[in-house]
Amino acid sequence: MNSVFFRSTIALVLTLSWLASMRAETVLSSDLQEAVKDLADGTFPRLASESVKDAPVERLIRVMTGMGRPPLSRGDFEKYQDELAELTDAQGEVAELALYLRARLFQVHRIPRDHETAEALYRELGTRNPMSHWAQLGFVKLGLMRLFLSPKGIAEPERRSKAEAFLPMLVEPALKRDLHLQIGWAGLYFDWPLSEVIPHLKAADEVGGLMGMVPEDLVLQIAELSFRNGDTAVARAYFERFLQEFSTSDKRFNVEQRLVDVANEVALKEGVLR
Amino acid sequence: MMAKRRFPLILAVVASIYLGSVAWVLVHRPDSEDERVTVRIAHWQVEVGPSQGFAAVIKRFEELNPEIRVKQLIVPPVVYKQWLRANLAGEIAPEIVEYGVWLNGMTDVPVKYFQPLTEQLERPNPYNEGTPLESIPWLETFTDELSEQRLNSPEPGQYFAITLTRGSLRLFCNRELLREITGSEEIPKTMIEFRELCEKVATFGAARDRPLMPLAGSGFNAQFLMNTYLGGATSKLRVELDRDGLLSLRPLNILSSYREGRWSFQRPEIKAALQLLAELQQQMRPGYLQLGRDEAAREFLRGDALFIFSGTWDATSLRKEARFPISVGRCPQLTADDPVVGPNILGRFSDGSNTTGFGLSLTKSGQHRPEAIKFMQFLASYEGNSIFSEVSGWPPSVKEVPMRPEIAELLSPADGYSNGSGVFSGGGNCRALLERNLHLLARHDGGVDQLADALDEQMPAAVQADLQAAARDAWLSVLPQDSRIAALGLLLDGVDGAARVELRRERLEAGQTQSEARGMLIEVQLQSAQSVGTK
Repeated sequence: MNSVFFRSTIALVLTLSWLASMRAETVLSSDLQEAVKDLADGTFPRLASESVKDAPVERLIRVMTGMGRPPLSRGDFEKYQDELAELTDAQGEVAELALYLRARLFQVHRIPRDHETAEALYRELGTRNPMSHWAQLGFVKLGLMRLFLSPKGIAEPERRSKAEAFLPMLVEPALKRDLHLQIGWAGLYFDWPLSEVIPHLKAADEVGGLMGMVPEDLVLQIAELSFRNGDTAVARAYFERFLQEFSTSDKRFNVEQRLVDVANEVALKEGVLR
Repeated sequence: MMAKRRFPLILAVVASIYLGSVAWVLVHRPDSEDERVTVRIAHWQVEVGPSQGFAAVIKRFEELNPEIRVKQLIVPPVVYKQWLRANLAGEIAPEIVEYGVWLNGMTDVPVKYFQPLTEQLERPNPYNEGTPLESIPWLETFTDELSEQRLNSPEPGQYFAITLTRGSLRLFCNRELLREITGSEEIPKTMIEFRELCEKVATFGAARDRPLMPLAGSGFNAQFLMNTYLGGATSKLRVELDRDGLLSLRPLNILSSYREGRWSFQRPEIKAALQLLAELQQQMRPGYLQLGRDEAAREFLRGDALFIFSGTWDATSLRKEARFPISVGRCPQLTADDPVVGPNILGRFSDGSNTTGFGLSLTKSGQHRPEAIKFMQFLASYEGNSIFSEVSGWPPSVKEVPMRPEIAELLSPADGYSNGSGVFSGGGNCRALLERNLHLLARHDGGVDQLADALDEQMPAAVQADLQAAARDAWLSVLPQDSRIAALGLLLDGVDGAARVELRRERLEAGQTQSEARGMLIEVQLQSAQSVGTK
């Protein structure tokens, strides 16, 4: 009972903090707003020349424009990371975004990548304001790093638990979903027991909202892996859902045949039980 | 004196010529054309059909949109890749270009040079108003909802192309010749029947001292033939390698499973499949690998081959150019009692899905993108796609579009296993392996064992190169997204429709996380000790 009360209180506090962190903090001038819209569309804005009077958000947009044209030269990397380090000292969303982008610079833009510095920056972001969107996104990136960058020879349960440790910190459903999905998929590659993989895939599927081929893949994977794991009821339910939801899939024939296999397996089990 | 008298006359003539020219220019000035925006579209489809289909669609589009002119550029396939790369790099590429994920060495192109069409695809296509597809999101009007894009998009969740057609693999048959040889017009339905027919063809040709082959041969056609049967003949192995539970294989599965030593060309199932390929290649004339696609078509059109195995993209050309009636048959199926590969197959294999193709993308550097989008919307609308299909003879990519019976027969029902990528489909380097080594089957000192050994010798390097390319592509799509995601974050506070901005950011983040995890996973695979040798 106490545990339920404690968990509910924590969840309430986290949710309220998250909502509070979403308040508007950055007001852009119309010129800057146009520039940011261009960046969001993947095109590059023409910005006025640099000035010492530039507001932090303007400086941030300059760095973002540069980061949008990878790969970065060593000189650009140094310049942007210095700039972001200065912006990070402030407070509010610009500072949090700057800190996140600085972590990204070290994690993926720097050649060679510097994972240790990136991890420290993500952790700093998480300590400052764990409910900010950028800290939340940082937790997903940290989860990926634990999955794929853990030292050679690490025991698989340890790899899994290190990545899973970030899940309770994620309060944004879409980001939680993304990490569940990647943990599940990594588990397939690392040959984790299916009973440990399937719950992650189910959790990702339950949130929904995924794009491209992933929704179709997920339903199919839950069905097939459950079948392999001996759970014919779940397998049948998800195979049937696949046929219902993905009318244009070129794997419908495969799934129809698999449903026959499931039925045969069920009949066999029932025969044995009788 | 005479010269002086003539001078005014000459002057008058010159002046009248000048005035006449001015008047001609004024009268014949292409007034509307000068004002029109020109959208250019480039593709490599040189067959009979598609260019005529495009011309007809363009004519109708220009009637509906007199302010826009559309120019079609047909670039020969042999130079298309180089042409496209140069034009994209120089930022002078047409607004709309054809692109396919299988183009070797071009996987970086979509992210770098194409504009995603996702937002347009989520809304109804305005040109579908008043048709059965009215009010339906454009994406859902394609028969496969752009499955190839969903599968291969470098940014998961983003669509970089629309498609125009779909197709299948078929045996095109010289009906008169078949009747002459067998007394029937029945095209073999199984590989066992096909083998029997091949013997009859050999006897028929020998009796008449005629160079007659069952299959017209070229390296191009053989690639499709071999890959189709290789996939069909190893379908049980596919189940074994499908670690991810996707009921089919993806290129990355092929690469990683080979690298982990989970299969090699020494596997009995694969050797049996190679044996089948050896049989098939004996049904084509010697030296076929050196021949081009056109030469195979000519061999068939001359009546020197009973069948040509090809994609439905050749249907219109063959039908128009042949002086004999052509029947279209489905791929002879492998059966459980097949003496070569029978024990290794699950059942029928798919010889054509509803996956659409002939992908057209919007270039970022195009000068007239809004007008280009308009043309793409018309091209893949109910009306536009109907015109294209009717004139080109190619099956439509859009739902509900009516088809003539000879077009409809080019499509396969969903009655066979879709096996996904074949063992040579890991990437460009793996794809080149079969082409480079297939001759070993035909050499006097060659055979299945020699081919399998050569493939296993070269495969590790090809796998390594393809994995590296896949990792590079994954990171290429990850890096530019940071600034886009950050920009959407900043926009959230300052624009109307914050929910829509938030959804865009959420999708971009999800796509980036997927690409990033993919890149990291491939790097794990590249770092892991290679364990090829489990045979």
